Amino acid sequence: MKADSNRLLLSGNHAVSHAVKLVNPNVMPVYPITPQTPILELITEFHAAGEMTGEIMTMESEHSAMAAAITASLTGVRVFTATASQGLLLMHEMLHYAAGARAPIVMFNVNRTLGSPWGFWPDQTDSLAQRDTGWIQYYCENGQESHDTTLQAFRVAEQVLLPAMVIHEAFYVSHSMEAVELATQDQVDAYLPDFNPPHRLDPQIGESWGNTVSQVMFQNHRRDMGDAMERVLQVAKKADQEMKELVGRGYGIHEQYRCDGAEFIIATMGSMTGTVRDAVDELRADGLPVGLFKIKLFRPFPIADVREILAGIPKVMVLDRNFAPGTGGILYQELKAALYGLEDAPEIHGYLAGVGGTNITPAAIKEMVQSAMGEKPSAHSVWKG
Amino acid sequence: MTGTVKRVPSIWTTGSTDILNTGTWRTAIAVHEHRPAPCYGVCPVDGDIPVWVQQIRNEKFKEAWQTLVENNPIPAAIGRTCHRPCEGACNRTEYDGAVSINALEQYVGDMAIREGWEFPAPSDELDQKVAVIGGGPAGLSCAYQLRRKGVQVTIFDANPELGGVLRYGVPEFRLPKKMVAAETKRIVDLGIEVVTGRKLTGEDLGELDQGYSAIFIAFGAHEPKRLPQFSKDDSRVLDGITFLRSVRLDAPMELGRKVLVVGGGSVAMDVAGSALRLARQVEILALEGREVMPAPEDEIEDVIEEGAILNDGAMVKAVEDLSGTLLLHCIKVELDQDVPPGVIRPIEIAGTEFTLEADTVILAVGQDPELVDWEGRVQVARGMVEVDNDYRTSRVGIFAAGDVASSERFVATAVGDGKRAANSIVRYLGQKIVVEEGFADEAKEVAIDDINTFYFPTQEPGERDKVAVEIRKFGFDEIRLGLTDAQAFDQSKRCFSCGSCIECDNCSIFCPDMAIIKDSDAPLYYKVLEQYCKGCGCCLEECPRGAMGVKEETK
Amino acid sequence: MGYEINEEKVFSSGHAACPGCSEALAIRFVLNTLGRDAIAVVPPSCIAIISGPQPLSSMGIPVYQTTLEASAASAAGIKRALVSKGNDHTNVVAIAGDGGTYDIGFQALSAAAERNEDIIYICLDNEGYMNTGSQKSSATPSMAFTTSTPAGKLSPKKNVPEIMVAHNIPYMATATIGYPDDLARKVKRAMEIKGGLRFINILTPCLTGWGVPDSAGPKTSRLAVQSGIYPLYEVENGEFYTLNYGPNGLSVADYVTTQKRYRHLSLENIELIQAEVDHDWARLQKKF
Repeated sequence: MKADSNRLLLSGNHAVSHAVKLVNPNVMPVYPITPQTPILELITEFHAAGEMTGEIMTMESEHSAMAAAITASLTGVRVFTATASQGLLLMHEMLHYAAGARAPIVMFNVNRTLGSPWGFWPDQTDSLAQRDTGWIQYYCENGQESHDTTLQAFRVAEQVLLPAMVIHEAFYVSHSMEAVELATQDQVDAYLPDFNPPHRLDPQIGESWGNTVSQVMFQNHRRDMGDAMERVLQVAKKADQEMKELVGRGYGIHEQYRCDGAEFIIATMGSMTGTVRDAVDELRADGLPVGLFKIKLFRPFPIADVREILAGIPKVMVLDRNFAPGTGGILYQELKAALYGLEDAPEIHGYLAGVGGTNITPAAIKEMVQSAMGEKPSAHSVWKG
Repeated sequence: MTGTVKRVPSIWTTGSTDILNTGTWRTAIAVHEHRPAPCYGVCPVDGDIPVWVQQIRNEKFKEAWQTLVENNPIPAAIGRTCHRPCEGACNRTEYDGAVSINALEQYVGDMAIREGWEFPAPSDELDQKVAVIGGGPAGLSCAYQLRRKGVQVTIFDANPELGGVLRYGVPEFRLPKKMVAAETKRIVDLGIEVVTGRKLTGEDLGELDQGYSAIFIAFGAHEPKRLPQFSKDDSRVLDGITFLRSVRLDAPMELGRKVLVVGGGSVAMDVAGSALRLARQVEILALEGREVMPAPEDEIEDVIEEGAILNDGAMVKAVEDLSGTLLLHCIKVELDQDVPPGVIRPIEIAGTEFTLEADTVILAVGQDPELVDWEGRVQVARGMVEVDNDYRTSRVGIFAAGDVASSERFVATAVGDGKRAANSIVRYLGQKIVVEEGFADEAKEVAIDDINTFYFPTQEPGERDKVAVEIRKFGFDEIRLGLTDAQAFDQSKRCFSCGSCIECDNCSIFCPDMAIIKDSDAPLYYKVLEQYCKGCGCCLEECPRGAMGVKEETK
Repeated sequence: MGYEINEEKVFSSGHAACPGCSEALAIRFVLNTLGRDAIAVVPPSCIAIISGPQPLSSMGIPVYQTTLEASAASAAGIKRALVSKGNDHTNVVAIAGDGGTYDIGFQALSAAAERNEDIIYICLDNEGYMNTGSQKSSATPSMAFTTSTPAGKLSPKKNVPEIMVAHNIPYMATATIGYPDDLARKVKRAMEIKGGLRFINILTPCLTGWGVPDSAGPKTSRLAVQSGIYPLYEVENGEFYTLNYGPNGLSVADYVTTQKRYRHLSLENIELIQAEVDHDWARLQKKF
């Protein structure tokens, strides 16, 4: 690294590790799993070199990693962990538990196919299957975004007291080398306030967490969680805005790419957005009014924004690199639900594209657009690619 | 920072369960109780034995003595002479052997003499005067109890010194005279007038009526019983109490070479022991089998160790006068079980005849009171002054107790009777009796099943060491050495303290609800918090000593 | 006279344990020995019920109620967070049942022991899933009735104390409520030995699950010790064994005949259990 530059050639995973190093969380329970492992490896290297000072906990499972993460967080310190695929699923119980405990843990998840059968390929089903756990979810398309979003996630999570999951896909992002502009320590110190939750596990305070509640108490608690999740929309926008002011990079909680005058919008998340950008450029060059709508913040789902942005658009095509047997593409389902009852709602084509990590090229996307333009949409997700 | 969290998670726990009333779950509540121990139940002086034994354990020796002398002013003497029903009843008996209560009593009694502890002077002085006739165990006990309450007391005794049977009967090797002297002096020092060397008879009643508000008769039983088989006039046939008295006066009666003691009680054993020390060959003939002889087993053991030959379960049928010696024709007997209490009916066992030869026969088969002068003045029945349950004789203002009025011829019983008679006299005098803290009427005596024996590792009973038989035969020095401090402590620790809380805290420690707390204002040291007690009974179960009970509750 | 136990008042009255509950007693001696500078982790169990209904707690220290399998990991997370804040004095204690320890929580426990996390782990062992109505756990002993082993369990109890010793942790002890001073002393000892995982297995007879009277918890626990079924011992650094209380001549029959969970046993069954107990005791004795 040159002394005057923070620009490094990094894999997506290592871009995340660098963000975590800048945050220097107090506790980091870790457990290896492909393709997440490079994140933890670089963190432990930083730690061994004395560049990070928190507690590294080399757990025996992701379940225990999340268990330790929750209590460390409730003890009032900053916590980070990372996982993928099966590991995320093993955590499932604890994901609910963390959100219920209002523990603002930040976790990075690398999307990978779920067994069985075994595979190692990019597929968002692992994290999308956790959409009801009460975690904030960010989907990133490249290492730079993952680096910056990881920083944002701490800020947002700690403000609303909900855990946040930042996500990118296996290999396409996790292991691809790209130039990444790192935030500086000064920027991060300015961006992240001290974390001092008023309620925590502390003998000086004496409060406890998790005692059995009544039905009404439980309902109220869930309602409070919902309110906090609602607030994320504004808090996340603000966090992004302030980052943009501080480090010059921002992403919004969603992005419209060349949507001015668009009559056909491709909606997607994650690495697919990069491919779609190229396809949109080519389609625009061909004179077709096509734009990209990138969903970055999937939880909470920005329903109001979605309705506003897509109102009056004749056609929307959703590309899902995930699959829920029985209902199809998950983003497709969410968008349809968000738009329900909208007077000038678009027709929605749901395409299962790239499931299991199959390669989707800009040319394939152009073909899908062209065929969708001439068709009435199916009521269900349609397999492509 | 803007956007700092304002709303906090809704369910952090901040309160304490101690506001809840989990006591509403129960149907019964544990209560601390002071329950009678079996030793107390049989104690002739009604001593709450666990209390003073506990005081010894806590090394509160003077307090132990003070507790003892509430009921018995002569613990050094009774600590050597009691027939120890307490040890027979002790819950520890069937566990690993009774606590050596009697030895502990002696330990404290001796310590009091050594340390010169005195009774406090009476707090009140009353005008009323009581005459106590007889300065033996019953008379001393009664005089002491009366004097403590402020009554003016005069003791009349026929002998030159006080003590009665303790002074003139029980031999030195069992009870040194100096102990009797010290304990009687301590009583007299309370301010009691003593007239010795004067044998009062019924004819003196008129004089006493003038000077005294009440009279207590306790001159004992000194008329030896005879056996018809023996001639009254034979100088070779002596009686036990006369013999013992002669020994006590250091002028022992002449004995032949071979001595036969007839009798199975303590007096018989004392006679045999004394005779042995006068270098004689001694045999004993007892009607009862050894297991049921009235003498305590250790007293029997002592004389056998010292060389006496015991012929138990046998009686003399006839006496043949050989020239110089007596030939006793004896036969083995069984005792008829089918008889009223107090009656003894031997059944001869055919074919078990045997003979014994003796130069001297000493009869120790009991004594009767000398009542010739008294008959007609007070009611006499079955050879004794008749009294009611309050020790009142037939004549108003005259009370009686001890051997003169009871067939239970134990010194400790006489002390107890003296105490109870004193209370009766005080009531008669129109004074209030300060009722000692006793037991609740419903309080059940503690049985071995009420004891949690886990808390009492088995530990051998420890009795007083005895002087080697080779040494003790040659003199009248005391046979038994008092307990050492260590022995006394060990014995005191063995006491279960049945029914008496010793503040071990088990009830509190084993309460899963922390519902029993120490409370210095509570009568029995602890308070049960009704708000929390769920009625599980752990306290009751874990009380080592049965000092808790249950109160049913209906809601 | 009596037990010498120094208690700080941490555990409160008014909790929801059954009358006479052994676990409540154990919790009392654990918490009151630990004192107020402590944080507890409790998984689902009767312990969680005892700890109190929101918004009330019976435990006068912060308690975090975790999931059934996660006690050791959760406790370790707290400890590490404290360490990261420079707090080296607060004790972190996990108090879990035998199901949460011997079965579902064992992986996390073993791992925490391997990492030698600086926590105290207390297993309140009542030999089954008693909170859910008495089902078999791997702590259930041979032949015991549970509602999931109605004919009696066919395999012996898992020897978790020895497994923990095999982790070479600094301190492992067995304790029970019938010996409260011994129990409290072991908690104290565990507190003194800082810097690693300290494990105490406390036998806590479940009155309803075992079928004994409400007042019989301490007594039953003592019978377990006196009959050799549950010797009280402690091991430091996986190596130095000390026997505190062993069998004193009572037999398995003296123990099982007081409990309804064993009432189906035949004399032959009892002899088999006796042989198992004798064998285990002989093996353990060699280590002292």
